[in-house]
Amino acid sequence: MLTRVWRFGPGLTRLLRHTQVRCVSQSKPSGMSSAAVTEAHAPAAGSTHGEVSPFVKNPDFHGFSSDPVVDEWNMRIGFFLGISVALVIGGTFIHYLPDHGMRQWARREAERLIQQRERDGLPLIGENYYDPSKIILPTKE
Amino acid sequence: MLKILIPTMMLIPTTWLAPSKHIWPSALAHSLIIAIFSLLWLSSPGETGWWLLSNLMALDPLSTPLLVLTCWLLPLMILASQNHTSAEPVNRQRMYLMLLTSLQIFLIIAFSATEVLLFYVMFEATLIPTLILITRWGSQGERLNAGTYFLFYTLAASLPLLVALLILQKTTGSLSLLPLPYAAAFPLISVADKLWWAGCLLAFLVKMPLYGMHLWLPKAHVEAPIAGSMILAAVLLKLGGYGMMRMMVVLEPLTKELSYPFIILALWGVIMTGSVCLRQTDLKSLIAYSSVGHMGLVAGGILIQTPWGFTGALILMIAHGLTSSALLCLANTNYERTHTRTMMLARGMQMLLPLMTSWWFIATLANLALPPLPNLMGELMIITSLFNWSWMTIVLTGGGTLITAGYSLYMFLMTQRGPVPQHILALNPSHTREHLLLALHLLPLLLLILNPTLVWGWTA
Repeated sequence: MLTRVWRFGPGLTRLLRHTQVRCVSQSKPSGMSSAAVTEAHAPAAGSTHGEVSPFVKNPDFHGFSSDPVVDEWNMRIGFFLGISVALVIGGTFIHYLPDHGMRQWARREAERLIQQRERDGLPLIGENYYDPSKIILPTKE
Repeated sequence: MLKILIPTMMLIPTTWLAPSKHIWPSALAHSLIIAIFSLLWLSSPGETGWWLLSNLMALDPLSTPLLVLTCWLLPLMILASQNHTSAEPVNRQRMYLMLLTSLQIFLIIAFSATEVLLFYVMFEATLIPTLILITRWGSQGERLNAGTYFLFYTLAASLPLLVALLILQKTTGSLSLLPLPYAAAFPLISVADKLWWAGCLLAFLVKMPLYGMHLWLPKAHVEAPIAGSMILAAVLLKLGGYGMMRMMVVLEPLTKELSYPFIILALWGVIMTGSVCLRQTDLKSLIAYSSVGHMGLVAGGILIQTPWGFTGALILMIAHGLTSSALLCLANTNYERTHTRTMMLARGMQMLLPLMTSWWFIATLANLALPPLPNLMGELMIITSLFNWSWMTIVLTGGGTLITAGYSLYMFLMTQRGPVPQHILALNPSHTREHLLLALHLLPLLLLILNPTLVWGWTA
């Protein structure tokens, strides 16, 4: 579609210029060039291919629906449930989940034992995992 | 389980019975509430391997993150689709929502299945709604070809899986995942056993996709409507990874040798798809090939069967799901305005839509695996365990990481920076809906930095 625009040159592009709104400015354009304040007007004479920007009818268009009331409510539902409940409350819930797999406990316990053994002058860990006196070796066959 | 599954099933009557003004708000609210309740799954009761155990379904540290991701994605898909379906007749919109919901139901049952055959049936069942989404709601004529590739690649690879599962059922008497890790190792010596090994894995490798069998993915991703692309990139690919992680446990002694060509293919795929991305003109195609590359890394991590490999694979799957879906949503915001996916035609967006650029930036940084995002953590764990397996992989993975950074930056600079092209006169400003959509993608990703233990899988 845009390649056809390209081929027809700037004439058609000038017609299409008046279709979409970049932003709505409420202030009077001062002496500054109007290039700084973009235009906001209803589709003028040009052929717009039927594409009217939804911001023309509803300057507070949120992207959900052409009906402004439904649009507003849809936005509120989305933000409330999505951000306030799911991310914030859900995030808090996850933060306060108990220590899964006792990993944090294991780290604290290890640090405590190391400090205790350093205080008592004991080696940090014994060489043998099992008590050697309890190991029953087979006799020489 | 049922307190999520039944509300999801009830979403179908909701979409059909709601008055036409309220379909989308009520579907959004309904699916967001389901997603909120799915967070409860993350509170596991303790040391048991499985929780919420029932006859057919259960949760464990591997499936829970994927399930939460799936439930989170449905409201996001609804948000993303609201605009492009607004021009359609109401009943078609309801049909669209019903397809998304049925996909969701199949995915929830698939990820929580304790019986491998139930997982297989659901794995296949997800193909139908996705096929309908691609071929009916895609925008270009190529969508028919895309649907065909998608369906037949996956079907052709998964029929051997059915045979392999039936053989496994005959040998072990049960396909329940609970005792499967403790089953005695099978004597796998004959050629038939090796074919059985391949049959078990092929379906998942094609789904992931592995580099040699990835042709369906760019087509399907590009031609699908935004919700189809999102669910494909974020969850359906992970079905392959999840299936592989479950099946690896019975494939034991053969995997040491037989996985070798697949690991190499996966890593080579990272390099190759990365290079293809550097030469892409189509934005969605670039993101699709980027998915192939990332999932190649996941496949490599799974096939070497180390704890770090599995953990890295799971973290990368979740992080990539969110990132890739976010990038596809961003590409869709461009597409809805310019009706073209060609990157060169929609450049300099930072001048036109500066707020969207901030989302583009975060998503691009996530894609190139910036620390401390979980994307990097997953990639790093996989790369490290691959290096432990063989030092030579560092050449491929390091080069792959470099190229990934290259094409991610290329995508960002191409779409956002530079002069605005002459033919773009005015674009609609970014909708609140689009900002919400991207926030809901990227904020969880950023929050995962703070608590990666949620997505660690079995190491936790």
